[in-house]
Amino acid sequence: MIQLRDIKKVFNAGRPNEFTALYGVSLDIDGGGLTVLKGPSGSGKTTLLSILGCMARPTAGRIRFKDLELTSLPERFLAATRRQSFGFIFQQLNLIKGITALDNVMLPAYPNGEKRSRIEARALALLDAFSLKHKAAANVEWLSGGEAQRVAIARALINDPDVIIADEPTAHLDSKLSLEFMETMQRLKLQGRTILIASHDPIAYDAPCVDRVIEMRDGVVIDENESA
Amino acid sequence: MILHPPVLALLMGSLLASFMVVYASWYAIAVLRDWEITSGSELQLSLERQTYLISTLVGYTFVFQLLSLFLFVFIADDLSRLFVGAMCAAGTLNVNAYGYPALILKMINFILAGAWLVLNYVDNKAYDYPLIKTKYLLLLLITPVMLVETAALFLYFLNLHPDIITSCCSNIFSAGASGSGDGGLAITGGSRPTIFFALMGLNLMLGLYVFLTRGQGAYLFAAMSCGAFVVSLIALISVFSLYFYELPTHHCPFCILQGAYGYVGYPLYLALFGGVVTGIGTGVVAPARKFKSLAGIVPVVQGRLALASVVCCALFTGIVIIAMMTSNLIMEG
Repeated sequence: MIQLRDIKKVFNAGRPNEFTALYGVSLDIDGGGLTVLKGPSGSGKTTLLSILGCMARPTAGRIRFKDLELTSLPERFLAATRRQSFGFIFQQLNLIKGITALDNVMLPAYPNGEKRSRIEARALALLDAFSLKHKAAANVEWLSGGEAQRVAIARALINDPDVIIADEPTAHLDSKLSLEFMETMQRLKLQGRTILIASHDPIAYDAPCVDRVIEMRDGVVIDENESA
Repeated sequence: MILHPPVLALLMGSLLASFMVVYASWYAIAVLRDWEITSGSELQLSLERQTYLISTLVGYTFVFQLLSLFLFVFIADDLSRLFVGAMCAAGTLNVNAYGYPALILKMINFILAGAWLVLNYVDNKAYDYPLIKTKYLLLLLITPVMLVETAALFLYFLNLHPDIITSCCSNIFSAGASGSGDGGLAITGGSRPTIFFALMGLNLMLGLYVFLTRGQGAYLFAAMSCGAFVVSLIALISVFSLYFYELPTHHCPFCILQGAYGYVGYPLYLALFGGVVTGIGTGVVAPARKFKSLAGIVPVVQGRLALASVVCCALFTGIVIIAMMTSNLIMEG
């Protein structure tokens, strides 16, 4: 489903502070599985995830997603692909304070030009699926950590993406909430979605629902394990 | 040189436009030499990223190029009051040997820049840059013409001396003018506009056919648009101008730009040039139908361009018909 070939990412190229985050990473990721990118800070996990999710462009290398070559896509095509095919769950959640949980969930769907009523119905259904319908009108800053995270997951799903990308999703959660998060990921995997998680939390990469762990260090893949 | 704000604006604009196209040509050479869409090399990815910036820069430059034709004619018309003998832009352009060449170069660049903008518009609709080499090759062809145009503009404006006595348009464009520095621009009056109306009728019908069939017959329409442009220009000078001026001997193509004639020249020339650029555009993008990523887009664009060309032709024809019907000049025989 996703094919990466010789992905290289250099920040500040040609300047004294030039930094290479990825050195020619090649990977094949099948659809419908849960893959965890594991490694210490600075290993290149987040950079790889942002390139995979069309949020950054590589310095060299190519990515194919289904039949589409992502790296050469002009910006507006890339943005459309990003919006329709990838859902993001960020480490800091990145929910927008001052607006309701419902509005936060609806936000990524606005650029698609759908009718507001249809987006709202879908967002409410998602909040209901995460037992948060009663919090739809509450501003996100009033929610607990667990509730806020479920809102973030609902937001990632609003455009019904094929791939969910989560960057260090359990970093700020206690063990109970981290386990809950991985259970949610398992449910999404069973729906046929492809899940990609970057984490150095054992609760994430040792979870029974994980199909594959890719270990990274210093911008290269050093080990790969497939779960039985 | 005359320090007139619009002159300075035009010269600065042309200089900037020339700098932009030279800069873009440097990139165009790299594209033609190194572009390989299947490669994931740093150079290829860097070229892909740069193309956004370059095509945007060139796009704005060429929009300026389109507008600057009208600015140039406006300036030439406006400066006519400074030269003894000049009544309109015709006299001002005749002040030195660079005026008319600069005008012709601006007209050529108008059409070339329009064709490039159409090509760029279509290319930007695709996800895989199918026309990138074609549009940058065209850019490389336009660049020297633009540089020559800028040189001609500078030579023209730097050699404008208010003490020069020039010829007025009635000398240059009147029937039977005897070459008073006009380079043979005099046109014999009295021609019938039959060829013009027949050609415009055919052009309109073919344009509608291209619009309705989404691009069928685009090459023929593009060729016909060129022909219609030349015939329209000749017909305007030799026949229709008489109706605007209500004088049987005055054939000037510039006086109609003046307030005394309701500035009718501006919509007339806008329609004329708009019609030829959009008409040619249908043919310019026709080969792009073969690309998978553009197969559904090109016919739609061709249809829109054909419609725009038809509207422009109809506007031009409509204005001259109204002029003929409302003019106090009656041509008989």
